[in-house]
Amino acid sequence: MARTNPQAKQEGHVQDGSGRIVVQNLTKHFGPVAAVQNLSFHVEPGSVTGFLGPNGSGKTTTLRMLLGLVKPTSGWATINGQPFNRLGNPARIVGGVLEAQGFHPGRTARDHLRVYAAAMGVPDQRADEVLNLVGLGAAANRAAGGFSLGMKQRLALSTALLGDPQVLVLDEPANGLDPEGIAWLRTFLKAFAQSGRTVLISSHLLAEVEQTIDQVVIISRGQTMYYGALEDLRMSQQSRVIVQPADPQKLAVALQEMKITNVSPTPDGKLAVVGATIQQVGDIAAQAGIALYGVHEERADLEQLFFRLTAGQYTGQMPYGQAPQPGWGAPPPQQGYQQPPGYAPQQSYTPQQSYNTPPQGYATPPGGYQQPPTPDQGGWGQQPAPQQPQGGWHHPTPHAAPHQPTGWEAPQAPPPPDSSPPPTGDSGSGSSSDSGSGSSGDSGSGSSGGNN
Amino acid sequence: MGNLLKAEFRKILTTKMWWALLIPAIGLALGWAWLAAMFFTDVGDAIENALNATGISDAELSLSSLALTRAMNFATLFPMVFGALALSSELSRKTITTSFLTASSRASVLGAKAIVYTVWGLVYGVVVAGAASLGIVFGTTGKLPEAGDWLIILLTGILSCLLWTLLGMGVGALLGSPVAALLVLLLYAGLVGPIAELLITGSNPDLQLAGIMPNGSANGLTGSTAAQLLFDQIQAIVGTTPNADEREQFDFIARTGAGAPGAFAAWISGLIFAAWTAVFFVGGLLRNNNRDIT
Repeated sequence: MARTNPQAKQEGHVQDGSGRIVVQNLTKHFGPVAAVQNLSFHVEPGSVTGFLGPNGSGKTTTLRMLLGLVKPTSGWATINGQPFNRLGNPARIVGGVLEAQGFHPGRTARDHLRVYAAAMGVPDQRADEVLNLVGLGAAANRAAGGFSLGMKQRLALSTALLGDPQVLVLDEPANGLDPEGIAWLRTFLKAFAQSGRTVLISSHLLAEVEQTIDQVVIISRGQTMYYGALEDLRMSQQSRVIVQPADPQKLAVALQEMKITNVSPTPDGKLAVVGATIQQVGDIAAQAGIALYGVHEERADLEQLFFRLTAGQYTGQMPYGQAPQPGWGAPPPQQGYQQPPGYAPQQSYTPQQSYNTPPQGYATPPGGYQQPPTPDQGGWGQQPAPQQPQGGWHHPTPHAAPHQPTGWEAPQAPPPPDSSPPPTGDSGSGSSSDSGSGSSGDSGSGSSGGNN
Repeated sequence: MGNLLKAEFRKILTTKMWWALLIPAIGLALGWAWLAAMFFTDVGDAIENALNATGISDAELSLSSLALTRAMNFATLFPMVFGALALSSELSRKTITTSFLTASSRASVLGAKAIVYTVWGLVYGVVVAGAASLGIVFGTTGKLPEAGDWLIILLTGILSCLLWTLLGMGVGALLGSPVAALLVLLLYAGLVGPIAELLITGSNPDLQLAGIMPNGSANGLTGSTAAQLLFDQIQAIVGTTPNADEREQFDFIARTGAGAPGAFAAWISGLIFAAWTAVFFVGGLLRNNNRDIT
């Protein structure tokens, strides 16, 4: 589809019609603020790629650089092999929805579309076509100023679709849409991608786009945190058993004797066990004669993974304590770091490290997954340092059992910058298809090696 | 480019601004010309009586040409506002994003806008000229300007409207905010400029500083034209050529009467104002050719 797109051949003199988006080492500074730092990823046709990050993480700036609205400080971004301003008649190749506010309040929806239909040289009747396509046919003669946010989103999308583009770039398109609208958008974008075209869609809510996207780029503070298939991110999540024993200390020792070493206390006095089934934990407790008041299995959902990946955004403050959650491990970021070609891991590790350091942040974690190294939790006592809360558990028997490279430990001891793998190897291998085989095992063992 | 011109015309015609500003421009030009023509008719009568007393007959002056220029100068505020909103409102309403996304380059958008607003500046100029002409027809009881003179004054008025439109567009593009642009332009052209020109020229009539300023040069474009035509008329009546001093004095009085104190000759004023326009216009467009649209 993409390669036979006749527009691609007619319009752009040099663009290759591939439908590919490539972002390479993109950096943007607004004065002293680094909005985007050395961002690299690419988006392939035939898929919906989610571009995720918290507010202020640089998503919009990145998309605006891609669309030629903001000049990068360094790096580049191309669509169909060309920067935006060399696409010829760009609206026939890429449709962008960057904000749902770009309307004159006194102009009707139809007039708005006719203005831009004229600009891109498509027939006027196309305005009514796209209005009907997005479900605004009945509101064609109403002024956009009276539209609800959801209607404005639809109008913005219809504007992007005017030129029947090969690539769609949407910034937070689900904002303000009702559930029905979101469901419609999901179906629409999937169908759009299935026809061989490209969709890049940003959101600060993973749940909002989770069912729509195939690939995902997660950024935080202007840096790539994960880049690869959503399925791989999903696979990387691990379950753990939350157990409430009569004597947690005793159970922890009993588990360690059975070579189940990845055990951590929760703030409410329970134990979180990784790498064991409910049955195993129950059996071991029974053998050790420890009463259990509750056992259940927990599975991190994608949203929590997303939280963890992007938590560095406001590192240091962490007033709500949810920012770190190191107990959930960071195999995805470890994978992700290795994906973007040319990515410099030194930079990206810094935030992660930093949110492991402030101990006060762990004091009242709502998630309760992390080990609180605060003094009042000292009963669990052996934690040697807040940077390695898990190490505390292993401290009594540090060599008793080698860590399973589960990846749960990864965030506890992110490799310091100087020991992180050199970026050159990664940049050489960089292709998105590798993302699934990301080396969570490697990263896990790397960090557990530190503990041992 | 044709597509973008069409798009820019549609942008204007699908909103109310163009007529919401054109109607008061017509009203102001008409009313001001009417009132000023009545006033200058009285002045002209007084001068005629005085000349008659000295034995010069057939000394009817068409002072209503001064009314014509004053009315048009005043009405240029509206095309100026119209131009000021051209880019600044797109920036503030964020429609500029879509405008840039649907064009091959920013330069083409800005170029199309410049052309379209040039046309609109002319439209405003023609309409204002018509309204002001109607005003002096209603307000003048004595002699109207000669057709040729009249036309020349109207042409300078139209040119003034066009340049004000583009200057407004440039200031709006430079400031990027409609409120800031309107505040700066209206305060300057409506209040600060005229008062400053009067004060400067009043304190030192030999100093033509006022004629160098944007508003002063714009007024000079029309005002000095009218003054020149009046001079020719008087010279024809009196039949003698005045010396340089007399000429200077007359110009000063006539130009001040036409609302352009301290102005240079029309063509110099026109060049100065065109230069001002070019500075703001080109500066504004360059700024937006590079600005980050966030």
